Amino acid sequence: MTSYIIRRLLILIPVILGLTLVVFLLVNVLPGDTARLIAGEYADEATVENIRVQMGLDQPILVQYGRYLGDLLKGDLGRSYQTHRPIANEIRAVFPKTIQLAITTEIIGLVIGVLLGMAAALRHGKALDRFISMFGVLGLSMPQFWFALVLQLLLSVKLGLLPPSGYKLGFDLYIILPSLTLGIPTAGWMSRVARSAFLEVLPQNFIRAGYAKGLSRNTMVWKHTLKNTMIPVISLVGTDMSRLLTGTMIVESVFVWPGIGKYGLDALLMKDMPALQATVIVLALSICLVNLIVDVLYAVVDPRIRYK
Amino acid sequence: MPSDKYLPKNKKLQKLLQTANTETDSLYKDAWHRLKKDKLAMIGLIVIAALVLIAVVAHLIPGLDPEGIESSRQVAGKTIFPPYAPSAQNWMGTDQLGRDIMARVFYGIRVSLLVGVIARGLTMLIGVSLGVAAAYFGGWVDMLLMRLTDIFLALPVMLLAMIITLIMGPSLTTVCVALVVVGWPDVTRLIRGQAMILKNKDYVRASKTLGASGFWIITRQILPNCLSLIIVSFSMGIPGAIMYESGLSFFGFGIRPPSPSLGNMIADARGYMTVSPWYILYPGIALILIVVAFNILGDGLNDALDPYAKYRK
Repeated sequence: MTSYIIRRLLILIPVILGLTLVVFLLVNVLPGDTARLIAGEYADEATVENIRVQMGLDQPILVQYGRYLGDLLKGDLGRSYQTHRPIANEIRAVFPKTIQLAITTEIIGLVIGVLLGMAAALRHGKALDRFISMFGVLGLSMPQFWFALVLQLLLSVKLGLLPPSGYKLGFDLYIILPSLTLGIPTAGWMSRVARSAFLEVLPQNFIRAGYAKGLSRNTMVWKHTLKNTMIPVISLVGTDMSRLLTGTMIVESVFVWPGIGKYGLDALLMKDMPALQATVIVLALSICLVNLIVDVLYAVVDPRIRYK
Repeated sequence: MPSDKYLPKNKKLQKLLQTANTETDSLYKDAWHRLKKDKLAMIGLIVIAALVLIAVVAHLIPGLDPEGIESSRQVAGKTIFPPYAPSAQNWMGTDQLGRDIMARVFYGIRVSLLVGVIARGLTMLIGVSLGVAAAYFGGWVDMLLMRLTDIFLALPVMLLAMIITLIMGPSLTTVCVALVVVGWPDVTRLIRGQAMILKNKDYVRASKTLGASGFWIITRQILPNCLSLIIVSFSMGIPGAIMYESGLSFFGFGIRPPSPSLGNMIADARGYMTVSPWYILYPGIALILIVVAFNILGDGLNDALDPYAKYRK
C-alpha cells in the first residue's frame, strides 16, 4: 500500500516541476512591462530601471525561474502587484471559501443526482425515466454564466427570496444561489451516472437472491443496491471535486463570492502577474492532490490496483 | 443443411430464418442504421442541420442586420429608447443599441458552430497524432507525452484558456488556439489507450513481421480501428468547445462586441436583465439548443458505433 503511494508521489514530482515551469513561462510571456506596472505611469526611467533590477527582472528567464522555484519551496508566493500584500496570505483567505462552495455543491449534486438516478433506473423505460434523462442532458448543456444570471433574476430579483450576491461567514442564505448554480448541473450529470450504475446492479443475482429470501423492496433498494452503486459514483465525486475546485471562476464572479476563482480572474484582469501565477500553481497542485487522494482511495477499495 | 437437423423445428424459428436480414455491411453502415432508429439522436441531427442551415444562409436573408443601430423609435406617438421589446419588427427584440437580437443570435450561432467544429477538429488532429505516436513508438516518447498530458491536465482549464486569450489578444483564432491547448490531453490519452490495445493485436504484429513500415501500420491498421472512437470524441467535444467559447466571450476574453457571439450578448444582457428579459433569454436558449443537440447526437453516435451497446441499453 505504502509502496503504491510512494510510486505515485515519485511520478508527481517531475509533473509538479514541469507545471511550475509551464505556468512561469506562460505568465511571463504576457505583454506588458511589469516594472513599469509597479512603478506607475508617471515614474521616470531611472525609477523603472531601479525596480527592474530590484525585482530581478533583468536577469535571464531561467534565472528568474530558479529564484521563483526557490521561493515556492519556502512557501513564499510573492507579493501582489495590486495590493502589495503577500499572496500566500491572500490565497489562504480565499481558498477555504471556494472549498466551502465546492463541498456544498457536491453534497447537493450527489444527493439530488443519486436520488434522481435511482428513481429513473427503478422506472426504466417509463416516462419518469425519460424525463430525468432529459433533465440530465439539460443540466450538462446549460452555460454556467447564463444559468447563474437566470437564477439570480428569478430567485433574487423577481421573487426576492435570496440575496443576489455577496458572502457571509458560515452557512447562510448567501451560499444558496452559487451552490445551486453549480449543483443543479452536477446533479443532472450525476443522475445519469447513478442511473447507469443502478441499471448494472439491478439485474444481478444477489438482488434476485434478496427478493427470493423475502426481503422487502425498500430494504433491497435502499440497503443493498444503493451501497453497491456508490462505488463508481464516489470515484466520480473525486474527479468532480477537482473540476469544482478549479472551475468556480464564473459563478464566483457573478455572485461576488470571494473565492480563489474570483481572485484568479481579478488578478488576470488587473494583469497582476504574481497573483495569477500563484493562483494557477495553487489550483494545479490541488488538482494533483485530489487526483492522488482519489487514486489512493481506488487502491483501498480495489486491492488489485495496488499491485500494478 | 445437414446441421439444421439439430435446430428446433418450430414455426417461429423458420419464419425468423426466412425473413431475417443476415447481410451485414461495414461497421459504419450498420452504425448508421442503428443511429437512424434512435429517435432522440435523429432529433439532435435534424436540429443541428437546421442550425447549420441558419448559420450558412444568415447573411443571405434580406433585412437581417446584426449591426444596425437604432437609437430611438416612435411608437404610438411616444419616443422610446432601446432595448425594444419583441415586436413585429424585431421578433426577438433588440439590444441596448437597437440592434436586432434575432439577427445577432443567428450570427452568434454561426460563430459558435464554427468555433466548435474547427477548434475540436484541430484538437482531434493534434490529439490523435500525438496519441498514436505515443502508443506506437513507446519508450521515452510515450513517457514524455504522458508527463506532458499530466501537466496539462493538472492546470485549471478556464483560467488557462483566459491567459492564452490575454496573451494573444481576443479574437476567434485565439479562442480556437486556447481550446486546442486545453483539449488535446484528453484526446491523446483516449487514442493512446486504444492504439496500445491495437498495437498488440495479432494482425498488427503479423504485418510488422512481414515488413510493413510504421507508416503503413499506423495509417492502414491502427487509425481505421480508432475511427469510431475519434468520431465519438469529436462529436462529444464540440459542445464543450462551444461552451468554453461562450464563457470566454462572456468575460471579454473571446469575441468582442460588436461582433456577435452568444457569450458576449449574454454579458451585455446582464446589465439589462431586469428590464429586458428577452435580451438574456434568447441567446441563452440558442446556446442551450446547440449544446443539447450535439450532446444528444453524440450519445446516439456513441451507442450506434459501440458494438456492445445494445446489451447495455
